[in-house]
Amino acid sequence: MNHHPGAPAPSQAAALNDPAPVPVDTHCPYCALQCGMTLVPDAEGRFSVAARDFPTNKGGLCRKGWTAAALLVSPERLTTPLIRDTKGGPLRAAGWDEALDLVAARFRDIRARHGADAVGVFGGGGLTNEKAYLLGKFARVALGTANIDYNGRYCMSSAAAAGSRAFGIDRGLPFPMADIAETDAILVAGSNPAETMPPLMQYFDAQRARGGRLIVVDPRRSATAQRATLHLQTTPGTDGALAAGLLHVAIRDGLTDPDFIAARTSGFEAVRRIAAQHWPDRVERITGVPERQIVEAAHILGEAATAMVLTGRGPEQQSQGVDNVSAFINLALALGKAGRPLCGWGTLTGQGNGQGGREHGQKADQLPGYRKIADPRHRAEVAAVWGVDPASLPGPGLSATELLDATAPGGAVKALMVLASNVVVSSPAAARVAENLRGLELLVVSDLFLSETAALADVVLPTAQWAEEDGTMTNLEGRVLRRARAQAPPPGVRTDAEVLQALARRLGCAADFSADAETGFAELRRASRGGLADYAGISYARIAAEDGVFWPCPDDDHPGTPRLFLDGFATPDGRARFAAVQPRPAAEVPDDDFPYWLTTGRVMGQYQSGTQTRRVPELAAAEPSAFVEIHPQTARGLGLAEGDMARLTTRRGSIAVRTRLTPAIRLDTLFVPFHWGDGQSANALTHAALDPISRMPEFKVCAVRIVRDAPPP
Amino acid sequence: MTKRKLVVVGNGMAGARAVEDVLARGGDALFDIVMFGDEPYGNYNRILLSGILNGSKTADDILINTPAWYAETGVKLHSGDRVVEIDRAAKTVRSAAGTVEPYDVLLIATGSKAFVPPFKGAMDADGRMKPGLFAYRTLDDCHGIAAFARTARKAVTIGGGLLGLEAARALGGLGCESHVVHLAGHLLELQLDATGGGMLRRTMEGFGLHVHTGKATTEILGEDRVSGLAFKDGTTIDCDMVVVAAGVRPNSEIGLRAGLTVERAIVVNDHMQSIDDRSVYAVGECAQHRGKVYGLVAPLWDQAKVFADHVTGHDAQAAYQGSKLATKLKVMGVELASMGITEPKDEHDEVIQFAEPKRGTYKKLIVRDGRLVGGILMGEISKAAYLMQAFDRDAPLPEERLALLFDLGAAPQAVSPEEMPAEARVCNCNGVSKGAIGAAVACGHRDAAAVMAATRAGMGCGSCRGQVEALTAYFADQAPPLAVAPEVPDEPSRLDGHVQARILEDGTFSLVPDTADGHCTPAQLLRIAEVAVKYNVPGVRLMAHDRIDLVGVPKDDLARIWDELYLAAAE
Repeated sequence: MNHHPGAPAPSQAAALNDPAPVPVDTHCPYCALQCGMTLVPDAEGRFSVAARDFPTNKGGLCRKGWTAAALLVSPERLTTPLIRDTKGGPLRAAGWDEALDLVAARFRDIRARHGADAVGVFGGGGLTNEKAYLLGKFARVALGTANIDYNGRYCMSSAAAAGSRAFGIDRGLPFPMADIAETDAILVAGSNPAETMPPLMQYFDAQRARGGRLIVVDPRRSATAQRATLHLQTTPGTDGALAAGLLHVAIRDGLTDPDFIAARTSGFEAVRRIAAQHWPDRVERITGVPERQIVEAAHILGEAATAMVLTGRGPEQQSQGVDNVSAFINLALALGKAGRPLCGWGTLTGQGNGQGGREHGQKADQLPGYRKIADPRHRAEVAAVWGVDPASLPGPGLSATELLDATAPGGAVKALMVLASNVVVSSPAAARVAENLRGLELLVVSDLFLSETAALADVVLPTAQWAEEDGTMTNLEGRVLRRARAQAPPPGVRTDAEVLQALARRLGCAADFSADAETGFAELRRASRGGLADYAGISYARIAAEDGVFWPCPDDDHPGTPRLFLDGFATPDGRARFAAVQPRPAAEVPDDDFPYWLTTGRVMGQYQSGTQTRRVPELAAAEPSAFVEIHPQTARGLGLAEGDMARLTTRRGSIAVRTRLTPAIRLDTLFVPFHWGDGQSANALTHAALDPISRMPEFKVCAVRIVRDAPPP
Repeated sequence: MTKRKLVVVGNGMAGARAVEDVLARGGDALFDIVMFGDEPYGNYNRILLSGILNGSKTADDILINTPAWYAETGVKLHSGDRVVEIDRAAKTVRSAAGTVEPYDVLLIATGSKAFVPPFKGAMDADGRMKPGLFAYRTLDDCHGIAAFARTARKAVTIGGGLLGLEAARALGGLGCESHVVHLAGHLLELQLDATGGGMLRRTMEGFGLHVHTGKATTEILGEDRVSGLAFKDGTTIDCDMVVVAAGVRPNSEIGLRAGLTVERAIVVNDHMQSIDDRSVYAVGECAQHRGKVYGLVAPLWDQAKVFADHVTGHDAQAAYQGSKLATKLKVMGVELASMGITEPKDEHDEVIQFAEPKRGTYKKLIVRDGRLVGGILMGEISKAAYLMQAFDRDAPLPEERLALLFDLGAAPQAVSPEEMPAEARVCNCNGVSKGAIGAAVACGHRDAAAVMAATRAGMGCGSCRGQVEALTAYFADQAPPLAVAPEVPDEPSRLDGHVQARILEDGTFSLVPDTADGHCTPAQLLRIAEVAVKYNVPGVRLMAHDRIDLVGVPKDDLARIWDELYLAAAE
């Protein structure tokens, strides 16, 4: 593969500082599959992406992966710190010392006036394990703030909470993704891997080719649903009721596994009672899924010898996200489809290092190794590694949405440092978030590009990316992978680790902050030892030799753990726990003023808030802007034709986007992808109602109005 | 804070649900809860009683709240003990067994009882129902019917409503010759119009059920056990057993005796409180709200939720607004859905109707102001899920009325490579069209692996590989050997220092002459423009990084334009 025409030559400095570039085996910069790829230099030292036969993607890449090397030569790259001297004034270029001195001085000042918790930190699920770990340590030790959280809260927090509640441990998949091909039946709820993680589909395709059956739950007949044996086209926000209905049929028709329930679970009786209240007729009326399909789905899962239940952001990104996932876990448990080979519940997580990012301490309530910050023993263990007094560690802080809420005028947070996250695009009720950030005493943003969030900052720090620094990532299987450095960052750019090290020093912090990835990883291994997510036995050498290592891996001789729970669940009594969850309606339902459901999601050619992918020319050309999917029958009644500008309005905000007519969506539902900012931000519309446990916002369900934006010509 | 005492009279689907809802709102911290239930069980799902009757379920299968639930939640249940008196002045209730419980808040959820009209000969000398005569309402009723039916030959169900048809079906299944006698002119008159009722009747008769409409029963015949029925028109029918499913009556006497306003049932306000006493609530079939008494589960549970919100202070403004009535049932395999009104009521009401009597399919919708106000679906009811939701929510309906009745649009069919349009997407992951594959073949990639490498088709999820292979073979078969050969443009591809070519999604090409760092001579610029004009190149794009892109170049012109641009660049 060669370069996109029009990519500039690599910087002179990079060429001078580095030896002649060689092919480098690494992983994609984007989603949680972390597909293996090789970066191959051409004669001029410009990298292009070549396929790599790694055990996960087996050479497959989606268009995001194939074009990823364009990020390395983007002309929009930030290469110098930027400082805004006065609120509302312009950003100007500055030197690193000036920028770091300023940030440290302002942090000290704000801390002195408002207390340590007034400085907040917002991280990202794209950070390597080393950086996520370092950021958590920086917040707790150098800043002393409780208030650190990350955008993974928007992604996998509901699944994490439900998984921990049921199984005592939170890992995206309890089995390697290749097992998907071998199971007999799969239910996928609210995930569209055919569009969001295409290389994963080879396992689903292989499963069906073997005669396996696939059930997809989605308000849209998505690319994945089109490949399914059975598509359950739910009303947004009714996943929990559907799961309870499936369980009802399973119980009614004798499909459950009483021996498994008796021997390996607890709490079934209360769940049975709730299922008893969800007979198919009633569930049909709630979900819009015809009764016969509910019955068929329950039988497909219940009669299969092996089955998996996989959830995605659909059920998870709701104000009852944790309960929705629990309802699906309940189904898997009642059918005896967990803790056995080729069975189990898993979540198809989104972000590149969503898994590792939440294990090592950038979540408000956690410390490295998936330890709890409120647990005295856990605090002591981590404090010992950090060489600090356990009492000096702050307690649990605010979750992502609450942290951003606290940036409002009069709120507890006066300064915010944002890494690897574009919160102005990715947060619910986004307009208010932008307004709050503008009003902060200090907003510091580290990014590759001038993202929508960086554009609001007082200090912007240009950071190294993906192939410019070393580090490890943990993919959705719990496989720890190595992302290797292929070239030096452009001149003027520093790594986040270097920045955190420099800031810690300026803040007078005595603890160690190594900017070297492998040194950082060694410390992470020590800090995770004995935790649920135990990395103690994983080394860079082993990762290279073994195509990644699955955690938990407590020591050098341990083979790692590709499959969890076969001998017992990670609960105190070894039993999986049913959760008695009663489905509730969405926080906002359509009414006369806002008569349609709105749901949001992804397109193949873009990733997350689009900060990176919108700057890759080929991807930008493929999906240049946001749009609204609407059923042709619904559109016709509203006088909307294909490609018309439509105005969507909710109680939070309003955007204008082009229509895309498709019979693949429900008549009562609209879909908008969320990768764009400005006037096209889906999250200007979404609802910030939070799940009471995971604090996940309700991205996937709200009520919306749609009208033609301009009069017909 | 000392807890108050909530006493719930009735342990059926409304009462038990109300208590669950109270507990879900933290009510156990507010109240000590005591329940009285007439039946000696936990709470069971009355909806599923037909399963008991036809033997497909046991009592355990339909229990919602088992005795263990009451123990776990700390709710004290007096089962099999009915409340006989409410003393509102003393704020106590007294049960038949003599238990007296004081209350701070009282919830009446006594439901309803089967209505057995005063037929002559219904009762024996002791005032009990004659052997062979049954009501159809409770778990015990079902057990009794099922046991008796084993020895019976011919059974008659009085009442052709939802419950009656369910019972008649079950009796047929138990081996009886099953008859239904119905007072109204057609079956299910609350849910169906005459056309639908007539069609249902013929369908049911086709399954062996005997239907007698317009029949008013006057007498239960038989000396010491049922032997037949006599009707007002003078005719009779002989049978071994009779099941009465002629409707229900609210159990509201207890309210009446307590001095509460009772019309058809206990009259409540929007908070489900008695209009006479704020410490007394009523929900379910014993409550009358805005003139209506509801008998279906969904409204009962809506009421229970309002009660729980209100009594716990979770939402002090919680108000019940009434419910929309819709039902689904399946009788002898005939699926039926009915919602709202069955006949238009207003001259502007729009009626959309389809009937195919031979297949037992009937569909009728009544639309007012673009919203669904009534509907009947019988036989083929695949649209029921959508329509019932639209009815429930008063949602705007699509303009295309036909789409309300049928799933329009055939499933996509497999098309041959030849039939496929050039712009058709083959590889979704990498955005490769049929045309792009054709172009790759034309450029010399004559096997699938080469085409995949050149276009990336099939290099994502891989599901289109078969199609890529088929298309490659198709194009390779018809493609003549290349005469003029720009050598194999990869995608995207750099051919030499002077011109870059790239295959676009629609199968045309993009050509980028090298204008190094934006530098070119005026003559070169002119030459590029001339070439573009000469070959009618549809688009010229001034790109970032100081380049010029000629886009939409057709395959046939590629080589010639290529040559001319090469010359221009080399000048």
